[in-house]
Amino acid sequence: MSTTVARDRPGLTGTTGARPGAVGFLTDTTLCIGCKACEVACKQWNQLPMDELGFTGHSYDNTGDLGATTWRHVAFIERISDEEGRRPTSMRAFQSNWLMMSDVCKHCVYAGCMEACPTGAIIRTEFDTVVVQQDVCNGCGYCVPACPFGVIALDLGDGHARIGDGKAHKCTLCYDRLRDGLEPACAKACPTDSIQFGRVEDLMDRAQQRVATLREQGVAGAHIYGDRAVGGTGGIEGLNAFFILTAPPEVYNLPAQPELPQRKTIPASLATVAAGLVFGLAAVLSLRRR
Amino acid sequence: MTAYERRWETRRGGGRSAGDEARESYYGLPVIHRAPWRWEIPTYFFLGGIAGASYVVAAIADLVGGREERPIVRVGRYVSLATLIPSPLLLIRDLGRPERFHHMLRIFKVRSPMSVGTWGLTVFGAFVTLSALIQAAEDGLLDRFPPLARLLRGLPRRLIAALGAGPALFVSGYTGVLLAATAVPFWTKNYLLMGPLFVASALSNASAAISLILSLAGRGDHRALRKLERLHWITSAGEALLLAAVRRNSGPTIARPLNEGRLGQVYRRGVLGAGLGLPMLLGAPGAWLGRRLPRGVTALAALLTLIGGALLRYLIVTAGHRSADDPQATFELTRARDR
Repeated sequence: MSTTVARDRPGLTGTTGARPGAVGFLTDTTLCIGCKACEVACKQWNQLPMDELGFTGHSYDNTGDLGATTWRHVAFIERISDEEGRRPTSMRAFQSNWLMMSDVCKHCVYAGCMEACPTGAIIRTEFDTVVVQQDVCNGCGYCVPACPFGVIALDLGDGHARIGDGKAHKCTLCYDRLRDGLEPACAKACPTDSIQFGRVEDLMDRAQQRVATLREQGVAGAHIYGDRAVGGTGGIEGLNAFFILTAPPEVYNLPAQPELPQRKTIPASLATVAAGLVFGLAAVLSLRRR
Repeated sequence: MTAYERRWETRRGGGRSAGDEARESYYGLPVIHRAPWRWEIPTYFFLGGIAGASYVVAAIADLVGGREERPIVRVGRYVSLATLIPSPLLLIRDLGRPERFHHMLRIFKVRSPMSVGTWGLTVFGAFVTLSALIQAAEDGLLDRFPPLARLLRGLPRRLIAALGAGPALFVSGYTGVLLAATAVPFWTKNYLLMGPLFVASALSNASAAISLILSLAGRGDHRALRKLERLHWITSAGEALLLAAVRRNSGPTIARPLNEGRLGQVYRRGVLGAGLGLPMLLGAPGAWLGRRLPRGVTALAALLTLIGGALLRYLIVTAGHRSADDPQATFELTRARDR
């Protein structure tokens, strides 16, 4: 357990269930300039094929979301109007109405995808990261709806030029680079240090200081996403890849208080057994000898 | 439709501006990924449910019934085998890498409903095969292999039925638990109802399948048919109640797929109307008033139930996909409550 100073405000507590020595990312969205160097570095290092080119027409985000061949995704949120729908007449802190965030696999302390995996393909590594063993995965796809963050996906191809390999893929936190003592490609390439790599406990301390500084500077909404209070809730116990956000998580397409899906397994099983007994009794009463 | 095209599909429909959508979510894009399953999975849910439940019906008829119930036992065992055989084939076909299906059997993982389900299905497969072989031996179908037929006839038939009923009930219901243990709003919000709904529907479908065959075979087992009709009626009523509870429990946002568009029609007219209401109406005189129904009516009611059962699985899976694509459904489940 990380021993960080607990404060009373949600999103500022900074407590995480990360195991000692676990490594991860701190993605500080206040430093992101939306250059997508992380997306490119990730594709290059991991030799991920290109996605089908498309134009969303909504923002500078033509990547869309995380997927089997997209392990970093920079979200662009242009806050054209304020909460009441008016165009702002004065600029807020950072003199910009842009929010940018480089999204990535959260490497959950308790990971829904890993719990769901029936083949044991998804494992926790010696770095406490969550990795899909490509020689084991058989593409059953159960991890996909089991991820509360919409990260992992099957590579089923794009239906045109490229044929997928049918297996589940997501960020490995550059397992091969970690083995060689290097930091992950995205963190290495990030020109503003918006993506920082390190031990989760160190990063969490750094994040708390950064949030305190931001709040002093007038960024009232600054908070940590990925501790036990926000993002790492409901049995997930924290995210090894966590974020500093300045707006509610929903704005970045992140669930505020997700839950580990497997928490439902035991109550759902008990309800099913109870129903089996009730309807089984109905069958006994209907079919008995008279 | 490719995954890429679907990525943008959800936000095209509403005709809302980027600004509108960005206030409530990230341009209306899905928060989570929908399950990548194709038609094979709901089809397996339907057939596997019948396989499990018809084994249960046959086992119970064997254990508590008398001579009159023998046709139910016999048909139930064959139906169970016939619907079980395609099940693993469908599951393997849906895999991204079908040749690696045996990787499912590398480990046993209690936390993963799919792992437990794979093993449950494997164990159940052994019971179904054995019980069907015993039935075949009793029916004289294995007389060309006298030692085998003698061996099978000598096995403790009722003990095997009693032991197999557990895995059979498991196979008919675990798929509901499997759906509940995901981040998909429609499935996980109804986590206490999915398994019971699948059990009820499986038993209703199985009794319908058996009575369809018995009524088409046209033998003189009216008493057995009437008992089956009663079970069919009770389980259909349970299914209808559970389905209504699912809609109510979901709340307006998560229940949206049940209320809107073609899928709403499938829910109201297909599953509730043609699949549950109509067969219950047709079967009530036989089940409760002791009337002897024309065989055509019994067969029609059974057929409608089976179509309704298939539609139910399609409905539940598709409604899950729709709710996964709807960011507001996910946010409703995950919104911060303490701020």
